[in-house]
Amino acid sequence: MGSWGFIGLAYGVGLVALLGYFLRLKGRLRDAGEELTGLERDGGRRT
Amino acid sequence: MLRPSLTARAFGAAAGLLLAVGLYLGLVMVPPDAVQGDVQRIMYLHVPSIVTAYLAFSVVFCTSILYLWKRDLRFDAVAVASAEIGVIFTGITLATGTIWGKPTWGVWWTWDARLTLTAILFTIYVGYLMLRSFAEDPQAGARYGAVLAIIGFLDIPLNHFAVYWWRTLHQPSSILRAGGPSVAPAMLVPLAVNFVGLVLLYSYLLLERVRLERIRHRSAELRLKRGRRG
Repeated sequence: MGSWGFIGLAYGVGLVALLGYFLRLKGRLRDAGEELTGLERDGGRRT
Repeated sequence: MLRPSLTARAFGAAAGLLLAVGLYLGLVMVPPDAVQGDVQRIMYLHVPSIVTAYLAFSVVFCTSILYLWKRDLRFDAVAVASAEIGVIFTGITLATGTIWGKPTWGVWWTWDARLTLTAILFTIYVGYLMLRSFAEDPQAGARYGAVLAIIGFLDIPLNHFAVYWWRTLHQPSSILRAGGPSVAPAMLVPLAVNFVGLVLLYSYLLLERVRLERIRHRSAELRLKRGRRG
């Protein structure tokens, strides 16, 4: 592998790690938001 | 709470812009290193990543102390959020370091003091996150986590000075050193731009990760209230 192969690998790993974390975080936020909305709606109905 | 704040969005946009400029400068504009050639361009990701990881663990250290002092779970939320992001940046540092090591040292990995202490740092904070996820009582998890985070932080000064105290394959610091940076000014520009870009990205991710903790706390409160009523 040449120099640019190593550079591509390094930046590729960095991009995948950051993008993967960002997308996973967005997914967790969406799930947590849906759960909270459901709980608030449910609580509103009860009161 | 259900939408990113304006500050978070501004940090995210600024980070994306700065990182695009920094990558262009580091990969296209700056000439190759006189000794290592093009492969040295990995530095423009490797060095800002570890400095950002140090910043993230410094935030964990400070907020863990504040949590133990005030017993306020808001400090703990920042600590756990920052630790998670710090682990990502340390992982990137380790990965880019091994990829850079192969063409320059001839090996992917060596048990050099700097590399070993960075791997230990990564392991400490992965352990911190595991401890947090296994704890059933949030206050107990926060307390044990804070103690581990404070002790684990000692690895950072040890890691910084490792290249001076022991004979290592890893080069000494070329930025944070007495007498100023030893890197050519042309190479300092993409380093600085990428560093600011990664710090802004860290800030964006931190605000979003703390928002996740706030949503989870609110949901837990509502579940508790519902349980009391039912």
